[in-house]
Amino acid sequence: MNQLKSRRRVLAAGAAALGSVLLAPAALGQTAGQKPLRLVVFTKNLTNPFWNAVRVGADKAGKDLGVTIEHAAPTKPDNIEEQTRQVEDWIVRKPDGFVFVPVDYKALVPTIQKVNKAGIPIVVFNNRMTDVEQVTYVGSDDETIGYEITRHLIQAMGGKGKIIHIDGVPAAITAQNRKKGFERALKEFPQVELLASQPGNYRRLPAVQVFENLMQRFPQIDGVFCANDDMAVGVAEALEAAGRGGKTKVVGIDAIPDGAAAILSGKMLASADFSGHDQAYLAVTAMVRHLRGERVPKEIALPVVIVDRQNAKTWTMPVAEKPVPQWAKVVAAQKN
Amino acid sequence: MNAPAAIATHAGRPSVRQLLAAAPGAVYLLVILCALLAVWRPEFLSAANLTNVALQVAVLVIVSLGMTLVILTEGIDLSLGAVLGLAGVVMGLALVGGYPFPLAIAAALAVGLAFGLANGALIAWAGMPPFIVTLGTLGIAHSLAMVLTHGNSVTGLPAQVRWFNEGQVLGFPVPLVATAVLFLLTYLLLYHTRFGRYVFAIGGNRRALALSGVRVSAYLIAVYAFAGAMAAAASFVMTARMNAAHPTIALGLEFDAIAAVVLGGTSFEKGRGGIVGTLAGAAAVGVLRNGLNLLGVSAEWQVAAIGLVIIGGVAFDSIRGRT
Amino acid sequence: MTQGMLALPRFLARLPADRLFVVVTRATALVAIVLVLSLLSPHFFTFQNLMNVLRQASLQFILSAGLTLVILTGGIDLSVGAVLGLSACLGASLIVSGHVALGIAAALAAGLACGLANGMLVTQLRIPAFIATYGMLWIAHGLTYVFMKGEVIHGFDKGFRFIGAGHVGPIPAPVIAAAILLGLLYVLLHHTRLGRGIYAIGGNPVAARLSGMPVNRYLITVYALSGVLAAFAGLVVIARVNAADPGTGEELLLAAIAAVCLGGTSLFGGQGGIGGTIVGSLILALVINGMNLLNVSTFWQAGGMGLIVLVSVFADQVGGRRVNAAVHHRGGKP
Repeated sequence: MNQLKSRRRVLAAGAAALGSVLLAPAALGQTAGQKPLRLVVFTKNLTNPFWNAVRVGADKAGKDLGVTIEHAAPTKPDNIEEQTRQVEDWIVRKPDGFVFVPVDYKALVPTIQKVNKAGIPIVVFNNRMTDVEQVTYVGSDDETIGYEITRHLIQAMGGKGKIIHIDGVPAAITAQNRKKGFERALKEFPQVELLASQPGNYRRLPAVQVFENLMQRFPQIDGVFCANDDMAVGVAEALEAAGRGGKTKVVGIDAIPDGAAAILSGKMLASADFSGHDQAYLAVTAMVRHLRGERVPKEIALPVVIVDRQNAKTWTMPVAEKPVPQWAKVVAAQKN
Repeated sequence: MNAPAAIATHAGRPSVRQLLAAAPGAVYLLVILCALLAVWRPEFLSAANLTNVALQVAVLVIVSLGMTLVILTEGIDLSLGAVLGLAGVVMGLALVGGYPFPLAIAAALAVGLAFGLANGALIAWAGMPPFIVTLGTLGIAHSLAMVLTHGNSVTGLPAQVRWFNEGQVLGFPVPLVATAVLFLLTYLLLYHTRFGRYVFAIGGNRRALALSGVRVSAYLIAVYAFAGAMAAAASFVMTARMNAAHPTIALGLEFDAIAAVVLGGTSFEKGRGGIVGTLAGAAAVGVLRNGLNLLGVSAEWQVAAIGLVIIGGVAFDSIRGRT
Repeated sequence: MTQGMLALPRFLARLPADRLFVVVTRATALVAIVLVLSLLSPHFFTFQNLMNVLRQASLQFILSAGLTLVILTGGIDLSVGAVLGLSACLGASLIVSGHVALGIAAALAAGLACGLANGMLVTQLRIPAFIATYGMLWIAHGLTYVFMKGEVIHGFDKGFRFIGAGHVGPIPAPVIAAAILLGLLYVLLHHTRLGRGIYAIGGNPVAARLSGMPVNRYLITVYALSGVLAAFAGLVVIARVNAADPGTGEELLLAAIAAVCLGGTSLFGGQGGIGGTIVGSLILALVINGMNLLNVSTFWQAGGMGLIVLVSVFADQVGGRRVNAAVHHRGGKP
């Protein structure tokens, strides 16, 4: 009897907790008064700091331009099916514009065509999409960034030596294009030998474990190309831990603060940046300009910046403090 | 057997009170969620959004139907998400390779059946725990899908595939019709055949069933084969929806399906439960996801909210003494 | 490792035939894998690489250790990876600002809290462990995301990093931590009332309850231990990779379960032990190491793992049954 009573109480408490969880967002959602423009910004996951930089950049643009920014990201990292559902749900909510990055540039096409059909304008950033109508594409080229950083690495190796490729998530288009760029650069240097290519899934622990095992197989490794900085820092740490620090040059991509710190301390050689922060800021700006009837270039390409010891300091600061790009300057730098 | 099922099979009229007591947590959850969303977000009840939700849960419902049967036999199948992915990939590759449509579908179904049969055989004949067997086949199916595609999406599918998603039968979208047909099929199988009676009996009292001369192993294998085939069927809808087959598309879906089944009042023990509850469970999961998006709950809090609702829903049943 | 070996003979004498079969097959498998890899790769049987394998196995073991206790009671804890991530991130935020001891305490406390919550849900609300811990998986992930806001915490104190990246002589610190943990849990399982309780609950929960055993208290303790050990594993992981991100631990769950099963602990509960889990962790680490050394694509890793788990459990079931039947036939002890 007593147990039953206490169970009832638990039930009531549970219901109250559930209620408060469900009520809170509703209250928040209804506080919007005089309707400013409302944009939804999509990111691929909640786990990679790159996408956090994107969200911060988008929020800054929202604040600067006086528009409301809401965010959508799959709860399961990079989940195609979930992103599809989120787009569908957002079509129902009718935002003024989508600022969108597809977790898979092909699989999301039919879904984005639904956005087109619903008449909601969309700016695509970071991953190019074809067969969909878009206001503009903001981004840099993953192939170019892979190519540039690999060239930088090989030149630092003196144009010869043994190299390892740690791939991202092999299914991800970013990883595939970065790999293409890597391979293109590799072809230019016949004296460089590719020892192995294994995925580290863009994540530190898997990359470290794969690399530790590869270290056993290859007593001499001159250079390591990692498809992102999270893995590159892990690889640099693993080299250090094995007492092989300094002998192997490690490069990554994204120039996250952690990576910049590793570059400054000499554990990593370099990284490359096409700033998710800047991309998102510009993508939101482009959307707002479009909605306000101003002209927007068909494509906004951002240059690849190599981050090495000389300039790494700027990248160690938190994204919140990063300076924002200037629209006029970026547009002036475009070819068309 | 739980009450919704009992109500459906017997013509007697239970009182409202009996109905309320018998309804699993998922039904309450569904009603509460719908009511709250209808008040907070008028667009929730729009035809466009309801169609959305229905299309979004179609895959989950189909997988959950098979999962219900498995759980009714006191089993579990963790491989269904990976098998769904592999079946989709096989179908996609066959189509891209220029094989005719029926052959591609047959190949996908064969993948589902083969994994189901293997699961069933290892569980029924070798006496291995279902959890471990299907964990093992999960890994194998996942690896095969990755190796076949090198981790890439299979795209460039012929236009007919989209019919599975965008086509209409009598004015209803194909995924909904397919889901309804599969639900009815499962319903008939579970409540109007000897196979169905044995499914409940295997969970309820396997030994007695075996003693009465029934070949329990054969039925158990059939249950897992059925679940595998349903996963393959779900892969058609999924592939059409994505217009691509992707090896990792449904990893983890099996856990959502298990949550839907249990929220729907099917118990891990003693063969209690049924597929009507599962339908409510899957719908509740779908409405919850949709509602969190409509409400603009941040993705971070959505993750926590899903956990709370799953636990809350099952706790609700447990506290009422339903399970 | 050595402690497990020393404990073995006395342990073996008390075993029923089918469990003895499990021990023998695992030992054989371990030796066979080592032999095959030594033949196939010249880089395998080197001190460096063996230490490397041991370190990877230790990490696996620390995470799987708590899970072993849960599985011995016939339960399951799907939240270990998520709890690992949550506690690692909470701890990391304090550790990075210089409060190492406080950070470690916070991480362990977070693990404890999640574990206790799991235990309460399972015993008090009688929610199936599978669902309770699956819900906890989502909650812990969600709280991690909320807490971290997509950021990564990196750059820890050298002293703290010792637990993951340090060495004692030539032995990596995680290996020593795993060995100590193995000893502690062995004593807990085989020389305490709680340990006997764990086996009794897994073997026959109704009988355990009827015998007046405080079943609920034992179960809560076991889930709490699982949470704390997941948190400890989290600390080792972040110390090793020198960073904590909100995805930490996400991909570790299935491997953790596989290591327990590979070690011969039965998912039906009541059979197996912590010594098996260290063997399971070793087999897993060896196979992955071997695949990398032999340049097998990582695409095969999940499948390879799945296949070994299937083969080993299949052998236990079918082989164990045969052995038992044979012993019965000869009138030996059951």
